[in-house]
Amino acid sequence: MKLSIGHLYPELLNLYGDRGNIACMKKRCEWRGIEAQVTEFSLSDPVDFSKLDIVLLGGGSDREQQIVCTRLQSIREDMKAYVEDGGSVIAVCGGYQLLGHYYETGDGKMEGLSLVDLYTVQDSPRLISNIVLKNSSIFPYEIVGFENHGGRTFIGENKPFGEVVYGSGNNGKDGKEGILYKNVVGTYLHGPLLPKNPHVCDYLLSNALERKYGKGELSALDDTQEIEANRYIRDRFVK
Amino acid sequence: MKIRRCAAILAARILSFGCRIAGKQGVTMAGKLAMRIDPNILKDLSAQVRGRIYMVCGTNGKTTTNNLLASALEAEGKKVICNHTGSNMLMGVAAAFVLNASLTGKIDADEACIEVDEASTVKVLPYMKPDYMILTNLFRDQLDRYGEIDITMELLEKAMAMAPDMKLIFNGDDSLSAYLAEKSGHAAAAFGISEQVFDQKETGEIREGRFCKKCGGRLEYDFYHYSQMGVYHCPSCGFSRPKILFDARDISMKGGLSFRVGKDLLTADYRGFYNIYNILAVYAALCMSGHSPEKLNEVLKNYNPQNGRNEQFTIRGSKVLLNLAKNPAGFNQNIAAVMEDPDPKDLIIVINDNAQDGKDISWLWDVDFDAFSDPSIRSITVSGIRGMDMRLRLKYVDIPAMLEMDVEKAIRDRLADGCGNLYVLVNYTALYSTHNILAAMQKKGGTS
Repeated sequence: MKLSIGHLYPELLNLYGDRGNIACMKKRCEWRGIEAQVTEFSLSDPVDFSKLDIVLLGGGSDREQQIVCTRLQSIREDMKAYVEDGGSVIAVCGGYQLLGHYYETGDGKMEGLSLVDLYTVQDSPRLISNIVLKNSSIFPYEIVGFENHGGRTFIGENKPFGEVVYGSGNNGKDGKEGILYKNVVGTYLHGPLLPKNPHVCDYLLSNALERKYGKGELSALDDTQEIEANRYIRDRFVK
Repeated sequence: MKIRRCAAILAARILSFGCRIAGKQGVTMAGKLAMRIDPNILKDLSAQVRGRIYMVCGTNGKTTTNNLLASALEAEGKKVICNHTGSNMLMGVAAAFVLNASLTGKIDADEACIEVDEASTVKVLPYMKPDYMILTNLFRDQLDRYGEIDITMELLEKAMAMAPDMKLIFNGDDSLSAYLAEKSGHAAAAFGISEQVFDQKETGEIREGRFCKKCGGRLEYDFYHYSQMGVYHCPSCGFSRPKILFDARDISMKGGLSFRVGKDLLTADYRGFYNIYNILAVYAALCMSGHSPEKLNEVLKNYNPQNGRNEQFTIRGSKVLLNLAKNPAGFNQNIAAVMEDPDPKDLIIVINDNAQDGKDISWLWDVDFDAFSDPSIRSITVSGIRGMDMRLRLKYVDIPAMLEMDVEKAIRDRLADGCGNLYVLVNYTALYSTHNILAAMQKKGGTS
């Protein structure tokens, strides 16, 4: 079996250890004998979504995000078709904001991909903190990470990635964090997200395998160190 | 007024003394107390410096550059004020002056070497008029505290505008520093390395500033030294590496560092390519301010930092080297420096996430730890508040590590069962405590 992972525009969107998310997906495939091929796309590269099983969209500075935003409009239709067909996407921080309709800042409105029904408005202060989420219907234990964003994101009636147990989440008000839409995970959590949350990594891998091969079961790995690191953060912030 | 000044200085001294007895650094608190009692104290004291004030800024290399410069000026017979410990925010800068003042509010100083945290420059400059700003480099660092590197650059730009007569001495190999220097319009001199030192391979190393700050176009590089340091130009707008006034050549890293600049041959015992930039910055500062770099080799030879930057200890016959590694660019350079030592070695990595470290430790994943999967690395022990994160980071490059949350125990264990060549890499808040542990062990002969 083989999964093809596309990393979109890492030369611009590479804040906050996004490479850790790639490394995590790659290793957890390898350790199970699944081949994982990672392709990095730069701004001028064409993206053939029919050849991808997982797409990672990371975060960048506002300036860099603006550059990417212009480029994204040209791949929007293809990416939309990919998402509607059940293609897996993991979008973090700036990448998460770009999934929505727009990101409104003091300097104007950055148009997003409109792949998912959400929007973001900049506000102060920046929400900077460790964060702990819970979504027990899908994930067997907590999701931990770090958030650092000025945007306040509103997802309407969509399903969140998790309920906030500690930290601010989408907007600091409604107790929700991120979004789950088909096989898209959008979230403000870096840390990076996947290494300390192997259950989230496996969720992405499993969805991608299910779509490609009709078989999403994954063999178990020894996650003692991952779970210890996860619990350590949870216990530190959630009494 | 006089009484107030005297009270401020006395209070700062007492507090600093008390802290030292308690084994704490306390420099920042002493500065804070003095500034609260006498808000003008920094302005008045810094104005008494007879010669030049050098302000050292930049993500990495500040403390080493600043302390080396101070030592070089002292070798010229100058009396120098310097914030040696690396307390580089407003209160730390204030303390450097206050703790050197007489109770009558006078300082006796020919020159001042003051390192200032980039984000603090705008806070320090209202109180101090530097003649020179030395800008070492700009990398991503503590994104949770400073936001993006763009924000740091905006602050530095503002700071430069606040001191129009200040001359810049900057790293011309760093496109970000070069851009700031050009934009500021200040009189400026660049140092750099024009010869290619490393074979080029695409390492996937994180690089800042791949795109031109001026026009947004992609920069083209003839070659890289590390991170974004290298020889670059922008094909779209013509922005390019500036003329390098102080150019290091004939670089050798065999068993230490040596290179030529101008008519001088400089040599140092320490490892680490990045130290060439630090030495070069000092050389440039000396030349630009009319001092002679003649005694620099002697200074380099005798330089023993005692501040956890490349600091060496000998404990019961074991060699221990302590170094600070607090962001990806610095860590990668540290890893390269460790691997320049071909002998077997044990390694301890301590990662904290206190406010001064940055609470977000995602950057660990931007460091290229793969280089540690080498037979000369006998063992790796991880420690600190985020020791578990560090262990996980290594797991994902297939390097096993031992976890020991107690730093002192980790050191003691590796001294007992290690190979006698120990490297300890720590981030910021672990530095002072680890330094104290090692210093105490060295003093006691490590019999504990």
